[in-house]
Amino acid sequence: MRVRRKMQSLAGVAVLALLAGCGAGGGATAGPGTANEPARGAALNAEGTPVSGGTLRLSMNTDPLCLDPHAISSDVEQIFGHILTDNLIYLDEQGQPGPYLAESWQISPDGLTYTFKLRQGVTFSDGTPFDAEAVRVNFEHMLDPTTRSPLAGPYIAPYKDSKIIDPYTIEVHLSVPYSPFLDVLAQGWLGLLSPKAINETTPAQLCEKPIGSGPFVLTSYTKNQGVTFVKRPGYNWAPPQLKQTGEAKLDGIEVSWVGQDAVRFNSLTGGQYQATGYVPAQNAAALKSNPDFVYANVNRIGLPYTVEFNTSRAPFDNLDVRRAFAAAVNVPAIVQTLGFGERQQSTSYVDRVTKYYDPAVKLPGFDPKLANQLLDQAGWTARNGDGYRTKDGKELVVQWPVSQAGTVSPIFDLIQAQVKSVGIRVNIQLLPSTQVTTLRYAGDYDLTYGVWHTNTPDVLYIKYASFSIPNEKRLGQNTSHLSDPQVDQWLDQARQTTDQATQQKLYSQVQGRLAELVPGIPVYDNSVLWAFSRKLHNVSVDTSHGTPLFTYAWLEK
Amino acid sequence: MAARAERARAQVRRIGARVLAGVGVLWGAATLSFLALHATAGDAALATVAGDGANPTQAVLERVRQDYGLDLPLHRQYLNYLGNLLTGDLGESYQQRISVTRAIGEQLGPTVALALSAALLALVLAVTVAVFTAGRRRWVRSTASGVEVVIASFPTFVLGLLLLIVFSFRTGWFPVSGNDGFSALVLPAVTLALPIAAVLGQVLRAELEDVLEQPFILTARTRGMRDTAVRVRHALRHALIQIVTMSGYMIGTLLGGAVITETLFVRRGVGQLMLTAVTTKDIPLVLGVVLFAAAVYVVVNLVVDIVYGLVDPRVVTA
Repeated sequence: MRVRRKMQSLAGVAVLALLAGCGAGGGATAGPGTANEPARGAALNAEGTPVSGGTLRLSMNTDPLCLDPHAISSDVEQIFGHILTDNLIYLDEQGQPGPYLAESWQISPDGLTYTFKLRQGVTFSDGTPFDAEAVRVNFEHMLDPTTRSPLAGPYIAPYKDSKIIDPYTIEVHLSVPYSPFLDVLAQGWLGLLSPKAINETTPAQLCEKPIGSGPFVLTSYTKNQGVTFVKRPGYNWAPPQLKQTGEAKLDGIEVSWVGQDAVRFNSLTGGQYQATGYVPAQNAAALKSNPDFVYANVNRIGLPYTVEFNTSRAPFDNLDVRRAFAAAVNVPAIVQTLGFGERQQSTSYVDRVTKYYDPAVKLPGFDPKLANQLLDQAGWTARNGDGYRTKDGKELVVQWPVSQAGTVSPIFDLIQAQVKSVGIRVNIQLLPSTQVTTLRYAGDYDLTYGVWHTNTPDVLYIKYASFSIPNEKRLGQNTSHLSDPQVDQWLDQARQTTDQATQQKLYSQVQGRLAELVPGIPVYDNSVLWAFSRKLHNVSVDTSHGTPLFTYAWLEK
Repeated sequence: MAARAERARAQVRRIGARVLAGVGVLWGAATLSFLALHATAGDAALATVAGDGANPTQAVLERVRQDYGLDLPLHRQYLNYLGNLLTGDLGESYQQRISVTRAIGEQLGPTVALALSAALLALVLAVTVAVFTAGRRRWVRSTASGVEVVIASFPTFVLGLLLLIVFSFRTGWFPVSGNDGFSALVLPAVTLALPIAAVLGQVLRAELEDVLEQPFILTARTRGMRDTAVRVRHALRHALIQIVTMSGYMIGTLLGGAVITETLFVRRGVGQLMLTAVTTKDIPLVLGVVLFAAAVYVVVNLVVDIVYGLVDPRVVTA
């Protein structure tokens, strides 16, 4: 752990030194909609006459050690899901659910029954036909506890059972109305696997050799080294939104796991790989100014990178203290440091590309004077020898357990220093990720942080409904422990209705209410950064995840 | 005759005792690691299914606890583990859901290739430098020694990163990462070998200088032997016993260094496996790698002991 952390920061330093040496610093931030920040659904570097053939060498970050999309939460599936599998639904550019392997559907007025008409003539790569039974087996596999599904299963938690009307018509029954159902069916983790493979192999075997119906077939998987996909002959059922039909153009895709940022960047520019799904933010400027590469920075749907207060215990059970803390944090300065100019400051409790994001919501800004005033008001008036505020002889100190197993983040130190100036002590506890996870579910912290990417505004239910507060009987992601009857009611209503105008109003109200309740500090809108060689053409931007879609990508000879 | 038989019996007794001690070491390693892993805070079942970005149901969590016996009292878990160990069963990796034996087996090849080539390179470097600098003029010795001290005190990841920057990022002579073929092995092997070569070089030079003072060297020289021949054919032979003594240190550095080298150069192998297992609290996998490393130590030391006994019979009675 310790060594790795040092190595990462060192790699960062080395890369900075290299960048400085090369004089490649042009760091002006491009606005949304420019070449670097393409819209979802766009086809990048699409010029030229497509040719078939060639193998794409793609570098990814960390091997999830299991490739069954239903069994993992790794973001690898956002890319792999659409290489290996197909989904029932594909979102259009506006984020509206559209057809894919489901050609059409009907929702009963009570929102409990979804009847899907399925596409005919689709087969999985083991020859098994895709039909209503296959859909049923997949739903049940996602929900089976032995699958250990961390995302796919929970996203369809209201699923009750299915009735097969005919081989290509399935009626899905939910236990409660759940309007995000169609949206989540488009996510990479909910790609459909061969029912034969699901029924005849163990979960471990499915991890190593998942079988889908997608444009490519997995042919080899060497853990911690790489994955090989080859083109699926006869594939002809891509999402209609791609406006192209037929087999993939590439002969195959060779994926390698390249965990170190500096190494991933240099192996891309050095030509060892033609694309990477993970550009380190500190290397974005260098890639932007490199004419041999196409760089994409795509905002994602969901919860922004947010610092969250534990509202269930002192001192953050007090709204004034939460507001004071938020006012003491200089968010723009942090965004600049963390994002190297690649990330946009958050403006709500959902990322700006989320459906029903409300631009009218106003988050409180940086205002140290207000922070001091609010803390005085809350009774933290005295100061101790270190300059921290006290009340009844108790210091104003908050605990922040953090793990640095992933990327090194200077945000902890920045916030610690910023709030010190208004008299709040932040105690950063550096712990192994296992311990942070344990503390998180036990609710034993004052501050925590995170993002949550999904493809619907229902992320607000996952993060802020009191139903989602973790307790002894239920795991959940409401880590701010916010429990507000008004928020609960609106979020429930939004799940119950399929009327878009009503949903828009409800989600707007929730965003406005959250801005008043301050369960956290949204910092920056999360985005995926990826890049590929100009020799690779027609890479699409996935509408659910903002990640690269290689279905009809082609390589120059 | 009787004396020879007596000596053979003593030899067997000695080896028998060493094997028993080796088993004790393995048991100790398993037990201490088991206790340490369970004593550190953090719920292994949560770490397995509910890390960042995961949102599993309670049913999934309970299923994992049951499947791996994590709901049993600690002493039961320990006895179950030892019981399985006696039958050669190292358990199932929580993350990969395959047997620990297979998980290690899958990653063993690249680590062995890396460790062997690094060991060989370190030996060649250390011997060459030591032979040509021992007992030479002061500035030669102190330069060699100074460089060795600097290299030996460099952290492996700094050394690796420097090599990467010069020979890969800048010049593109070697691939930045990966497991493909010989060229991908060069930089990692050099990274791993240099600190070992530096330490071995120091030890070997000191030993050589001792030997070069011995009367038999003077005898050899007066017979008219050339300096290089004296150094290689007489002095080096005596000094090499030090390398055998240092083999324990070498194995330790190779295994420890492999974790860092494999991570930096993104090579698959046992080192990477261990790192992932520790960060995700994959208890059976961590224990498996610890036992594997301990077994390598035990076997190497056993072999060294036996070799000593054969080379120098005095060791047996000592």
